[in-house]
Amino acid sequence: QPIASRSSGSSILVSPRQKGNPILTHLRSFAWEYSDILADYILGLTTCALFLSLKYHRLHPEYIYNRIKLLAGKYNLRILLVMVDIGNHEDSLKELSKTSLVNNVTVILCWSAPEAARYLELYKSYEHANASAIRGVESKGYAEKMVEFVTVPRSINKTDAVSLVSAFGSIRAAVNAKPEEVAIVSGWGEKKVQKWCSVVDEPFRARR
Amino acid sequence: MSSANGDQQPVRLSLPLKYQQELFQELRQKDELVILARGLGLLRLVTNLLHSYDAAGNHLILVIGAEERENGWIGESLAEHAAISMSPKARGLNVVNTDVMSVGTREKMYAQGGIFSITSRILVVDLLTNLLNPETITGLVVLHADRIVATSLEAFILRIYRQKNKVGFLKAFSDNPEPFTTGFAPLSTMMRNLFLRNVSLWPRFQVLVAQSLEGKKKAEVIELEVPMSDSMRDIQNAIMECVEVSIGELKKANSGLDMEDWNVDSALHKQFDLVVRRQLDPVWHRVSWRTKQIVNDLTVLRGMLHTLLTYDAVSFNRHLDTILAAHSPPPGSTRQNQSPWLFLDAAHTIFDTAKRRVYTGKVVKAGAEDIESLRPVLEEQPKWAILTEVLEEIDRDLYFNPVVRDDSNNTVLIMCTDTAQCRQLREYLQTMHIRPGGDEATDDEENEHEPSAAFMMRRKLRNYLKWKKEFAKISASLFAENQTALDGAKSTKNISNQAFRGKAPANKRRRVRGGGAAGSGTSRASNSPGSVLAAEDKPLEVATLISEIRPTEVEAAQKEEVVADPLDDMEDYYQLYDMQDLVLIHAYDGDMDEHVLEEVKPRYIVMYEPDTSFVRRVEVYRSSHNDRNVRVYFLYYGGSVEEQRYLSSVRREKDAFTKLIKEKSTMSVVMTLDAHGVEDPQEAFLRTINTRIAGGGRLAATAQPPRVVVDVREFRSSLPSLLHGRSMVIVPCMLTVGDYILSPNICIERKSIKDLISSFKDGRLYNQAETMLQHYKSPMLLIEFDQNKSFTLEPFADLSGSLSSVSSNGASDLQSKLVLLTLAFPRLRIIWSSSPYQTAEIFESLKTQEAEPDPIEAVRIGLEGGQRAEDQSFNREPQDMLRVVPGVTSKNIKNLIIEMGSLKDIANASVDELEPIVGKEAGGQIHRFFNKSVFDDG
Repeated sequence: QPIASRSSGSSILVSPRQKGNPILTHLRSFAWEYSDILADYILGLTTCALFLSLKYHRLHPEYIYNRIKLLAGKYNLRILLVMVDIGNHEDSLKELSKTSLVNNVTVILCWSAPEAARYLELYKSYEHANASAIRGVESKGYAEKMVEFVTVPRSINKTDAVSLVSAFGSIRAAVNAKPEEVAIVSGWGEKKVQKWCSVVDEPFRARR
Repeated sequence: MSSANGDQQPVRLSLPLKYQQELFQELRQKDELVILARGLGLLRLVTNLLHSYDAAGNHLILVIGAEERENGWIGESLAEHAAISMSPKARGLNVVNTDVMSVGTREKMYAQGGIFSITSRILVVDLLTNLLNPETITGLVVLHADRIVATSLEAFILRIYRQKNKVGFLKAFSDNPEPFTTGFAPLSTMMRNLFLRNVSLWPRFQVLVAQSLEGKKKAEVIELEVPMSDSMRDIQNAIMECVEVSIGELKKANSGLDMEDWNVDSALHKQFDLVVRRQLDPVWHRVSWRTKQIVNDLTVLRGMLHTLLTYDAVSFNRHLDTILAAHSPPPGSTRQNQSPWLFLDAAHTIFDTAKRRVYTGKVVKAGAEDIESLRPVLEEQPKWAILTEVLEEIDRDLYFNPVVRDDSNNTVLIMCTDTAQCRQLREYLQTMHIRPGGDEATDDEENEHEPSAAFMMRRKLRNYLKWKKEFAKISASLFAENQTALDGAKSTKNISNQAFRGKAPANKRRRVRGGGAAGSGTSRASNSPGSVLAAEDKPLEVATLISEIRPTEVEAAQKEEVVADPLDDMEDYYQLYDMQDLVLIHAYDGDMDEHVLEEVKPRYIVMYEPDTSFVRRVEVYRSSHNDRNVRVYFLYYGGSVEEQRYLSSVRREKDAFTKLIKEKSTMSVVMTLDAHGVEDPQEAFLRTINTRIAGGGRLAATAQPPRVVVDVREFRSSLPSLLHGRSMVIVPCMLTVGDYILSPNICIERKSIKDLISSFKDGRLYNQAETMLQHYKSPMLLIEFDQNKSFTLEPFADLSGSLSSVSSNGASDLQSKLVLLTLAFPRLRIIWSSSPYQTAEIFESLKTQEAEPDPIEAVRIGLEGGQRAEDQSFNREPQDMLRVVPGVTSKNIKNLIIEMGSLKDIANASVDELEPIVGKEAGGQIHRFFNKSVFDDG
C-alpha cells in the first residue's frame, strides 16, 4: 500500500475508483497515492488519463461517455488508455476513434497491465521533458552515418556499405563511380549495382 | 526472331513449337490466367500475342506488372515482328514509367492508342482521374500474375477496369507457380483477384510440352560432378554449424512461434531467410533487436555459402574480412549485442580455413630467411580444372570431327551465375597458360604444361594484400570515432598513434603493411572486450601477413607491368568478332538467355552452375531448330549446397504444379460464384445509402458519394484500393500536408509500424504533426498495423525494470516516443487500426456528418508562396538518403531538393555552392560528409 502524504507533485494521483485495478501493482517506478479526482489518473499539471478495459466497455458502453463528460474539458491532454483485452476489438475501436474526434480525447492502446502501467509512468516521467528525442537531432559518428546513408536502398546491407566506401575511399567517389567500377567490389551483384547507380543519379523530383 | 512460320497467316509469329502454338490459339480465344513452367518462353508468347493485336491496329492495350528489362524485350521484339510481317498498322510499345511525362502528354498518347506498358501507380491515378477512360481500353495484359494479391495496386486497377469495361480482354501470365500454392485455396483467390474464370497450366511434364521437347531433336547432355576440395567442405560444414546455432538462438528467443521448418535442412533451400522473415513478419515490430540481428546473420551466412562456391579463394577471404569488419561491434556494445555465430569455434574454422586456402604462415618459424618455405597456398577452385578439361575435349572434338553441316557456330558458350563469376572465368581462361614465376620462379617446374590459375591467383593475392593494408587503415579510421565515444581521450591518442604508423613513408613498404594491420588489430581488440574472435585472430594474422609479404613482393617487383586491370580490356567487347570458334562467357539473365542462345547459336554449352530454367531454354532452343546440334556440359559440386538447391528447385516447381492441377480440378464451384466478382453499381449505391443512415441518418448526403482526397504517394499502400472498394470516390492529388483528407477539418497522416519507427527516428513525424496542426482543425495520426501482423506494440521482452534508466534523451522504444509525441501535440488524435480493411471502415465512420473535402483547397494548403503542386517531389529513396546526411534538416531539405538535381550533384557540390542553399554550417557539414576520405584517419 502506498504511503500517504508525499509531495503530490512528484507522484501519480490515482482515483479511488481504480482500486483493485491490476495495473496499480505494476506501478513501481513512481510513487502514487489515492486522491479525490475527476479523472482516473493525474499524470501532470495538464495531463490526465482515463482507463478503459474493452471487456468492460462492451458490457457498459455508456460508462466512458459519462466519464468524459465529467471531465468537462479540463486538462490540456486527456488520455484514454484503452486496454485491448478482447479478441473482436474492431467495432469498439472504430467507435472509440470516432469518440476521440468528437470529444477531444487521445486514445492510447495497451495490451497488458504492465504495458498500461508503463505508459502511465512514461507520461509522468516525461512531464517536463522536451521533444528532442523525436525531432531527429541525433549525433552519430561518421561510420554509422555512412552506413545508414548507403543502406537506405533496400537491397544494400551493412557489409556492402563498408566494402563500397572502402573501395572508393569516400562517399563522393562512391556516388560518382560508374556501374562497372562498382561491380568489381566484392559482394556487389548486378541488382545492387543497378540500384545504387540509379538512386544516386535519380533526380529528386520529376521534371518535364 | 529466327524462324517465322512459313504458312500464310495474317501475322507472322515466331512460335515454332506445338505447345506454343496451342497456347497462343487458346489465348486468342478466351481470357485466362496462364501459368507456364520457368524457361519455356513466357515472354516470347506474350510478345507474339501483343504483336497479333498490334498488327490489327486501332486498339489500346495496357501491359501491367512488367519490369524494366521486360519492357525492353517486348519493345524490341514488337519492332522486330512489325518489320518481319510488314504490318503497316503496328505501332510498337510505349513505356510510361515515370512522372516525367506530363499529364497532357499522357492524355494525348492514350488518345492515339497503341500498346502501353505503364507503371501501376501512374496507371491507377490516370484511371481514377479519368485521364484514361477505362471504357476505351481494348484489353489488359498482366505479367507476373503471381505478385497480385487482393490489396495490391494491380488488383485495384483490374477492379476499376472491370467495373467500367466488361468487354475488353484480360490475360494474365506467370512463370512462377510456387506462390499460387501457399495459403487456403490460393488459386481461386488469385482468380478472384484477377477477375478471371479460366486457368491454363503448362508444367514441363504436360504432355504437349513433353512431346515438343523430347522428340528426336534432344540436346546431348554430359553431367560432370566435381568434388569439393577438403577445405571448401570444411568451410561449408562450419557455415552450416553456424546456421544451426543461429537457428537455435532464434528458436530460443521466439518460443511462441511455429518453427517446424526451421532446421538446417531447409536452411539450404533458396529462400530460407525469406521463410523465416515471413514467419516472423506478423510480430516483426515486437521481436527483440537480437532476433532481427540473427535473421540478418542468416542472410549473411547463406550468402557465404554461395560465395564459397563461386568466389576464388582470395576473393572469398577478402569478402570474409569485410563481413568481419562490418560486424564489429558498435560503440558501447557488450557481448550481448554481437552476432552469436561469431563466437563459435565454427566461425573460427571458417575464417581460419579461408585464410589457409590463401596462404599459410605456419612454416615461417622453421626457416626464417628462406623464400621457398614461405609459400602462398592459393587453392584453386576445383571446377576450373574441369572447365579446362572440357574445353580441351571440345577442341579435340572439333579437330577430329570436322564440321557437320548444320546451322550452329562452333562457339562455346559458358554460362554462370553472375558477372563477377564471368569476370573470374574470363581471367582464368586468359591467363591459365602463363607461368607465374618465369625463370626465377621456384615452385612450378614439375607441372610445366598443366594449365593453372597460379598467375591469376598471385595477382589477386597481391591486390588483396594491397587492399588489406588500406582496409586496415580504413577500419581503423572508422573505428577511431567509436573509440572516442567509448574510451575517452586516452585511448584516442593511442589509436591515432597507431594510425599514424600506418601512414609511414612509402618506400618502407614492408613495415607499412605490418604497421597498418597492427594498428587495426589492436584497435579492434581493445574496442570490444567481448569479441573473442577478433581478439584472438588478429595477432596471428599480423604475423602471417608480415611473413607473407616477402615472396609476393619479390614477384610483384618483376611482374608489375603484366598485371591486368579488370577493366583494361573493356574495349575488346566492342569489336565485331566472327561467330566461329569463340568462347563466350555469359551470366544467367532470365529470359534474356533466350536471346543469347538465338544469337550465338553455340554448338557447345558449358553450364558452369546448374540452373533449371536454362536447361529448359536449351531444350526449347534445340527443339525449335532442326539443324542445330548442341552438346551441353553440366558442372556442379557434388554434395554441395549448389546441388541441393538445384534439385529442390526442380522438385518444388513440380510439386507446385501438381497442387495447382489438383485445385483446378475441384475449383469449378467457386468460380461460378465468383463470376460476378465485380460489384453491381446499383448494389454499391444502395450500400452507400445504408451505411449513411446507420452513421447519421442524413439521407441528403447520398446525393453526392463520399469523397476522400488521397495523396498520390499513398498509392503504394493498399488503403486507397480498399476505400474505393467501399465505394468512396478517390481523388488523387499532390498533397503537401497529410496523406488523406476526409473533410475540410480532418487530415490524416498514415503510418505503418515500420514508417512510424523510421519517422520517429529522423524527426519527420514531428514536423508532419506540426504542419498538420497549423492547417487543420482535427489532425490525426493513423497507426496502421498490417493485416497479418499481430495487433500489439508490446515487445516480447520483459518490461519490468526498463524504466530505471528513463530520461528524455534515452527514449528509445516506440511507446516512449508516442508518449512524447502526444505530450508535444495534445491536439493530435491517434487512430489505431489493426488492418487496412479496418482503416477503411474507420474512415467511413469518421466521415459521417462531415462536409466533403475540397481537393483544390487540400492541394493549396501547405504550399508556400510561389510553389506549385507540380513541384512536389516523387522519388523517395534519394530523399531518404539525403535526409540521413549530417547537416540536412527537415527545413533545408526542401531547398536542397529544389535547387539541386540529384544526390550526385550534391555530392559533387563545393561548399560555396551549398552555402547559399543551406547556410554556412550545414553546407560545411554536408560537404565534409561526402568528401571525407576513409583513407585518412580521424
